[in-house]
Amino acid sequence: MTSLLSIQNLHARIGDREVLRGIDLEVPAGEVHAIMGPNGSGKSSLSNVLGGKPGYEVTSGSVSYRGRDLLALAPEERAREGLFLGFQYPVEIPGVNNTYLLRAALNASRRHRSQSEVDAYDFLELVRGKAKLMKMDESFLSRGVNEGFSGGEKKRNEILQMLVLEPQLAVLDETDSGLDIDALKVVADGINSLRSPERAIVLVTHYQRLLDHVAPDRVHVLARGRIVKSGGPELARELEQRGYDWLLEAEAA
Amino acid sequence: MNAAVRPPVPGSLSQAAFEQRLRDAVMDAAPMLNSRLLPVSVRSAALNRALAAGLPQLRDDLWRYADLKFLGSAPWAPSPTAQDPTRWQGAAAAVLPQREAGFERLVFVNGRHAPELSDAIPAFDASVSPLVPERTRHERFGWLNDAFATDLVRLAVEGERRLEIVFVSTAIDAPQAVHPRLELLLRPGASLTLLERHVGGAGHASLINSATQLHLGSGAHCQHLREQSLSLESQLLDTLQVALDSNAEYALTLLQLGTRSLRSSQRLSLYGAGAGARIHGTAVSQGSRTLDHSLLVDHVAPRTTSQQVLRGIARDRSRIAWRSRVEVAATAHNASSQQSLKGLLGGAGAEVDLRPQLEIHTDQVRASHGATTGALDENMRFYLLSRGLDPDTARGLLEWSFLEDAVSLVGDPALRRLAERSLVAALGSSVAGEAVQ
Repeated sequence: MTSLLSIQNLHARIGDREVLRGIDLEVPAGEVHAIMGPNGSGKSSLSNVLGGKPGYEVTSGSVSYRGRDLLALAPEERAREGLFLGFQYPVEIPGVNNTYLLRAALNASRRHRSQSEVDAYDFLELVRGKAKLMKMDESFLSRGVNEGFSGGEKKRNEILQMLVLEPQLAVLDETDSGLDIDALKVVADGINSLRSPERAIVLVTHYQRLLDHVAPDRVHVLARGRIVKSGGPELARELEQRGYDWLLEAEAA
Repeated sequence: MNAAVRPPVPGSLSQAAFEQRLRDAVMDAAPMLNSRLLPVSVRSAALNRALAAGLPQLRDDLWRYADLKFLGSAPWAPSPTAQDPTRWQGAAAAVLPQREAGFERLVFVNGRHAPELSDAIPAFDASVSPLVPERTRHERFGWLNDAFATDLVRLAVEGERRLEIVFVSTAIDAPQAVHPRLELLLRPGASLTLLERHVGGAGHASLINSATQLHLGSGAHCQHLREQSLSLESQLLDTLQVALDSNAEYALTLLQLGTRSLRSSQRLSLYGAGAGARIHGTAVSQGSRTLDHSLLVDHVAPRTTSQQVLRGIARDRSRIAWRSRVEVAATAHNASSQQSLKGLLGGAGAEVDLRPQLEIHTDQVRASHGATTGALDENMRFYLLSRGLDPDTARGLLEWSFLEDAVSLVGDPALRRLAERSLVAALGSSVAGEAVQ
């Protein structure tokens, strides 16, 4: 079967620093893939390049998403095509209503698909339902985007956005960092609720603990801008026990 | 002093020529200058002060960023044609903003009271003495408002009141001068919600020279929303002076959205112990416009407080300047002052000049100030794009976010919505009103 996301020999740099040095990755629809690796291995760079963050220069390789050249699309076009990037550090945008952003985002995608804009009342119902799932108080909906949210609240808000937008491919960058165990469970439930045969999820994470709650189909280890090992869920457990060093040494050898 | 060694700002206009223009203007304007509103002695003294002060000089720090080239050709005398409000009522009504429920409205057209567009309330209370504040060269164009104003609002406010004053300018067949004037005296303990609006435009090459003065008696409260959305060819000189007696509270929200060239000179004087003044100001410009502001806050009495939150968004090749100077006198023990100035650059040739200044003559004072200027935050922008928003909407939302705390002072919900709507309209993007909280 063809992959939803297909990355081939992807090289990218920021300024003079090469951060991705030949990534190959196939993510078929219906699967959850975990990208693990030590700090500085290029995990966030990979997420950012997939999202189209300015400042990254792709020097070679290709990324195909739903059969299209992802890198040729502007960030907002990627989003409307069903790519969702969950941020490691979601920004605060004071004064811009959280619900407004959700609705503007959803309508941008709907317009792109030639669908009518969502009815305001239906939308409110939808958002309330998803907020409940994320165990978020309704007051968060009327606040500024992430304004004064705690780290955990910001991450829940990311997943709330994801649930409203129902992306086909979600790339979640360290969504588990800064979460206490209860919040981790809530976030994991949110992610699991999105799993379906048409969708794929890429979890970028440093630790294995999120994977206890969201079982991955494949696990990849990123080091020095390259995937150095891929395997099943058991690889994550092995990493948890042995750390990353043995892989880095093996790679260097 | 020799005029030849003091090059006047307008370049082509010499000091002597400026004086001659003013003297000629007095002759032209004389039939329109009502001495019941402002006595001849006041007008003549003011003119003499203005003549003595002359034109602002390039090297004068108070006027460094003002674009006053238009003074070379701008008229000072009002036009007799424009002074008939019934004649311009139709044109004025067309640009008159929707009225706010619960506010008494007074409308002035080309500086003249227009009873047909106003509520049936007096605009002028003869029992109130003229409110002509002490002006300095910083407020020098206020003197010329004293000299040339053809009509005015002069009221004393007692108890609680909600007033909307709209100054509408309309283009006539020739360049004209309009001198809008507002004088309000708040009696002790009075509470005023004031909506002051400057709309329309006096026409090509015209001059609007407005003067607003407020005096807050002891314990008086004033919430003041001042919206300037004049047409984009307008040339505006503006003088605002506010004096506060003990324990008076003044909160000004300033929206500078229109004009091609604006110079606004503002002075807040905290004369009474425990008086407090807050200014939250926003300016939005594009094209090659210049919006120049100079604000002076005088802490004279003990325990006085002031806060300035000033925000400017300059796009294209436009320029915004905010000079904000706080002076704490030796008599102002335990005064406190906070200043926050921020500029957002929205174009390669745009310029924002922020100058917070502080001069303190007593040890017992708490004061802070800060100023930052930069472009839109790329991380915030990317965040919004990654949610599928188009670049224009993202920019509009981020600009809104940048300005948002500058309208947070407006406690009155209706006024706040109005301020938000005006700002969103001035940002001119596809940002819907619902984006705001």
